[in-house]
Amino acid sequence: MVVDPCEKCEELIQPYLDRELTDVEKVEAEAHLDSCSYCRKRYTFEASLRRYVRTAWTEPMPVELKAKLSALRTPL
Amino acid sequence: MSEAQPETDARKIAEDARDRVRFEEEVLELSDQVYRVARRLVPTREEAEDLVQDTYARAFRSWRSYTPGTNLRAWLFRILTNLNIDRGRKQQRTPDLQPMEEGDYYLYNRLEESGAGEDEARVVERLSQDSIVDALASVPHNYRDVVVLVDIGDFSYADAAQILDVPIGTVMSRLHRGRRILKQSLAESAVAEAS
Repeated sequence: MVVDPCEKCEELIQPYLDRELTDVEKVEAEAHLDSCSYCRKRYTFEASLRRYVRTAWTEPMPVELKAKLSALRTPL
Repeated sequence: MSEAQPETDARKIAEDARDRVRFEEEVLELSDQVYRVARRLVPTREEAEDLVQDTYARAFRSWRSYTPGTNLRAWLFRILTNLNIDRGRKQQRTPDLQPMEEGDYYLYNRLEESGAGEDEARVVERLSQDSIVDALASVPHNYRDVVVLVDIGDFSYADAAQILDVPIGTVMSRLHRGRRILKQSLAESAVAEAS
């Protein structure tokens, strides 16, 4: 059975972004991304979505909470 | 020779105290990451703060169960996710999921349809920050835990498997499914915002 290269690439994009592919799979994914503008567009989208989700609306940790955590330490 | 050796005992106590202080300092250095992940695991800021405090209280209490030289970050996040799972068991049940037929590119396709010709990297900017937060909250917690650990906590599949005490294949399938649910929810809110 012949596997559609774009379908195969769709399977590889997520683990590629997660840095979980083997060296062989990585080369395979990169070769396809270099030659296929359809998959490259989707790769760019997935990568930017990932960055966007990672940074979405994260307020810094409240300083009071930091102080509370330090207070939980075992007294010397 | 069975007599106690005060010098040796004193040295041992001092070494123990030094190890504990070092452990506590290293654990506290991770607090921003713990808070960031906790903030996405539970719906409100108050719950996240409680979860983080409980995590640190337990970590400090059970510091001896940590083996020096092993992955401290994974050890600490395991406490966090276990506490959150216990909390989840008390408060909620995972709802039954509707079958999803759409592929990984569903969100991309929906956004592309509503903004032809736009640069792929900028398409996501049309999603509001609130919609991402809401979409993540809508992912059932089994799947959300994995998505948050890998996408926000930046853990490897193997570390996430160790933290959640599930096989690596389960991490991969929950991640796949969780991301699809997230993207489907984002697509729905993007369509709703556009209309």
